[in-house]
Amino acid sequence: MSQPALWALVVLGLAEVVVRRRSVGVALVALQGLILGGLALDEVHGTGGLAVATAILVVRAVALPLLLGRAIGRTREPRRIASERLALGRFVAAVLAIVLAVALVPPLGLTDRAAEHAAVALVLLGIVIAALRRPVVFQVIGFLVAENGVYLATLAVDGGLPAVIEIGLLADLVLAVAVAGVFGARIHERFGTSDTSLLERLRD
Amino acid sequence: MTDLLVIAAPALALLTAVLLALVPARLLDGADALLSTLTAAVAIALAVVALTGHGDPDGGWYVLDGATGVYLIVVAVVGLLSALASAGHLASVHARFFARGVPQRSYYVALQLFWAALIAVPLVDNLAIAWILIEATTAASALLVATSGKATALEAGWKYLVLTTLGLAVALLGIVVLYAAVPDGAATSLSRLDWSAIHAAAAGLDPDVALVAFVLIVAGLASKIGWAPVHNWLPDAHSEAPPPVSALLSAALLPTVMLVAWRAQAALAPALDGTGSALFLGFGLISLAVAVPFLWRPLPLKRLLAYSSLEHMGILALGIGFASPLATAGVVIHVAGHALAKSLGFYAAIPLLRADERLSTQPPSGLGGVDPAGATAVGVSLGSLSGLPPSPLFFSEVLILAGGVAAGELVVVAVAATALALGFLGLAHALITSVAGERPAPVDPPARAAHRRHRLAWLTTAVVGGLICLSVAVYALPGSQLIDDLMRGVT
Repeated sequence: MSQPALWALVVLGLAEVVVRRRSVGVALVALQGLILGGLALDEVHGTGGLAVATAILVVRAVALPLLLGRAIGRTREPRRIASERLALGRFVAAVLAIVLAVALVPPLGLTDRAAEHAAVALVLLGIVIAALRRPVVFQVIGFLVAENGVYLATLAVDGGLPAVIEIGLLADLVLAVAVAGVFGARIHERFGTSDTSLLERLRD
Repeated sequence: MTDLLVIAAPALALLTAVLLALVPARLLDGADALLSTLTAAVAIALAVVALTGHGDPDGGWYVLDGATGVYLIVVAVVGLLSALASAGHLASVHARFFARGVPQRSYYVALQLFWAALIAVPLVDNLAIAWILIEATTAASALLVATSGKATALEAGWKYLVLTTLGLAVALLGIVVLYAAVPDGAATSLSRLDWSAIHAAAAGLDPDVALVAFVLIVAGLASKIGWAPVHNWLPDAHSEAPPPVSALLSAALLPTVMLVAWRAQAALAPALDGTGSALFLGFGLISLAVAVPFLWRPLPLKRLLAYSSLEHMGILALGIGFASPLATAGVVIHVAGHALAKSLGFYAAIPLLRADERLSTQPPSGLGGVDPAGATAVGVSLGSLSGLPPSPLFFSEVLILAGGVAAGELVVVAVAATALALGFLGLAHALITSVAGERPAPVDPPARAAHRRHRLAWLTTAVVGGLICLSVAVYALPGSQLIDDLMRGVT
């Protein structure tokens, strides 16, 4: 698997931890989807596999980012979200997470060790993004990055995953993002902003 | 015939969702009641087939062993009761989250879709398909959790959605690693992840890879099951959701996802040494340790029940971790008993919250004088959940601890027994305060006449009957054919 592509994926994930504008965040995750689609089309064999890979490419690189873009358009922020901690702190945490992942995860038995590292790094980055970023859209981007990591792992499996599972996973992803979109709209209606640090009233 | 029943059970719930999206609004409650009864009847018929051993345990794309039978009954009964109780709940609460169109319609459709996926999970013979269904339950149930549209409900639903989706992504990574490790000998590559196929291939797997896959899968599913330390969404989601949905979440969803983790452990057992059990025991002890202190606090009713769910999922994790026949018998009784007692507690909250809004933020107190039927229901529920004999949960906890002694895990048993005793004291205190404590100031304006309480009284009676039957079954279950056949579809 192409090393520059793997590096690009991880760098894009890191960028998601620090970028400020939501539209840039969505564009970066679209770019990740595009690179993954390219890697998939490189590995695929047979027309069935080609169809599935193309469908996944269209959804991850075009359809979902468009959906997120529309959601951003409908939920304008009155001001910059002040509750976000320092970008540098987030960046350091993300880099630490990647280093830990690469150091600690044993061989997973996939065809490409570099792809294994990148996949685990992306899943961890997704968790870090969802944990440290405040705007609703960035938390959605967090789980998209994590799912992109898992997809990268499936690309490194000999023979690929069965089409049924791939389509099922894609459907679940679209469903999750759609539900997240509904939540984002309601949260914005309720609070006037999609800053999730306002969602911290439940305590014991 | 069995094939037809297996397809019919979840398909009927799906069909109900479609029909409820189309019927006129005034027919919604009636249509929901009728169709849900039908779905539950088919699911219970299927469970009977599974439990009497008539079904082929490994019938190709579905599995009908003892575990499927037990879980189908639990999901069918709790789902039916929730569907029936929803009408009463929606009559008194405005579902502000579903602002477009008829709110009740969206609620019912989401509920039926949630139920359909829940019915299908114990039936499917494939780890990947089970994952896909569990992810689908997350989407439907997140919408249901936020039904009331309040700020706290939005918070609970959002946290639930994000945390469980991330956890499931980790589990999916584990499934991909497992898929890559299982050799490609099967007919179609999808069947590589069939439970029996995984079990057959397990002995030949590289132990390190099998361990990594197993840990990823179980740790990922743990966030959905609500085991501490990845349980943060659980108290919020179960307390903010409408009571019928909370009942389904606590009594049906958590144990069903746990079934998938259990089957994964049974399937991969030849490849793991003691680490599989150690992981479950760890989650169990940490869940108990986190939950028990909260049972001592004065919490509102639904939040108390939510922490009780955390405690009980911890006990179930211990039962699976001990992996001895006694403990397995205990787990079976515990799943059924917990479902009955927990759902009664949540259903009792519907009329109680309607009569006194303060109960959503204050602990219940002195209900005995104000609302006898509600007090009885809460009393039976909390009493059973605390493990007070003759509750079946007492016997199941004894069985699980005995199984732990049989497995040689004496330290774990000692710690667990202490935690359970403390939990019992906490819940017993909550029980006494709720029923016989200081009466609250009268509600202003006064609550309407308790004319619907007879439904709650009937439900309480039925649940008490069910609990007593389970307690009696404790004598017959250990050593029985059911326990031997429990994981027949996997091994």
